[in-house]
Amino acid sequence: MGRHRDHLVEGIDPHLFVEEHSPAEESTFRPVLLLHGFASSTKLNWHDSGWVRALTDAGRRVITVDLPGHGQSASPEERDAYAPSRIRADLLQVLQDSHVIPLDESQPASGVDIIGYSLGSRLAWEFGATQPDLVHRMVLGGPGSADPLADFDLAAAQQYLADGSVIHDPSTADLLRMARLVPSHDVFALLTMVEAIKGEPFSAAEAVPQMPLLLVAGEKDDRAATMPELAALSSHAETLWLPGRTHTNSVTSRAFKTAAIDFLNG
Amino acid sequence: MAELPFPLPDLGEGLIEATVLEWLVAVGDTVERNQPLVEVETTKSAVELPSPQAGTVVRVHGEPGEVVKVGDPLIVFEVPDNTAGIVGTVPQDHAPKRRVRLSPVADDD
Repeated sequence: MGRHRDHLVEGIDPHLFVEEHSPAEESTFRPVLLLHGFASSTKLNWHDSGWVRALTDAGRRVITVDLPGHGQSASPEERDAYAPSRIRADLLQVLQDSHVIPLDESQPASGVDIIGYSLGSRLAWEFGATQPDLVHRMVLGGPGSADPLADFDLAAAQQYLADGSVIHDPSTADLLRMARLVPSHDVFALLTMVEAIKGEPFSAAEAVPQMPLLLVAGEKDDRAATMPELAALSSHAETLWLPGRTHTNSVTSRAFKTAAIDFLNG
Repeated sequence: MAELPFPLPDLGEGLIEATVLEWLVAVGDTVERNQPLVEVETTKSAVELPSPQAGTVVRVHGEPGEVVKVGDPLIVFEVPDNTAGIVGTVPQDHAPKRRVRLSPVADDD
């Protein structure tokens, strides 16, 4: 069960909270790595929403990791700990520690599938693009080609936290509201992550994952309005729109889970 | 057979209500304990509620989009008479199987 890894990556221990969940019954499927969204956690994004249970019931070994500053992972002071490139290096170590081996056609359990949501989809996009020998298929939820965290108005957020000044940018106001919803979250760690992401904004066209992708978003998900642009970059992308769903409530959707499991098995 | 109602459980963090997103079971369905019942959304997040009980679904409360208060009825199961001890029937009288000590005891170890 959950534990902090103590492997050094680039000389630093990231203190990420990693869990592995065994399939309900023995199977030969490859494992699935789950990457949660900004200001969320493994618990909120994947446990409470029923994903871990749905995947283990479908015979999958599930690997979850809380991103730095989120859930039960540590909240380092230094900005570099939150950089997407640094997180990708940590994820590679997590997969190696979980005994994920490179894709090998003769071994059905080789490699890994990834399901991401929101920021987790951005990280998955980049991870898949840089690790084609490891990643088999990916499902990206609530994805977009824009980068709301890179566009976040940090000065306005800090002013708001200091004296309550109104934040004029609606996306910044909404992200800060999300960051403050979960009492256990360290808002300053989340703002440090925003700073780090501003240093490495998402540029989807720069590195495009070549494995098959399923892109899923709610029809009312404003943050995923640019999902078709992402799909157009890949020659192996399918898209699924969830009727009536938003960025927040697409996460639990049964249609999303069923489509994801079918797609990863395909 | 007896009817066993379950209210919307306390979802923590001071939340007092949730909006029904989608029912995953229907009247007449037989459900297992821990089987996903319904998706609901609070002001903080969306969650999937597992069944606290095995039984047959008799009624569900709340159409998609409707708000249910914590503690208000969410779902009613039909269960065999002798399993409905929590609500609806008089519990059978059993000799206690475990004793609970009410006064503190010094640690032995």
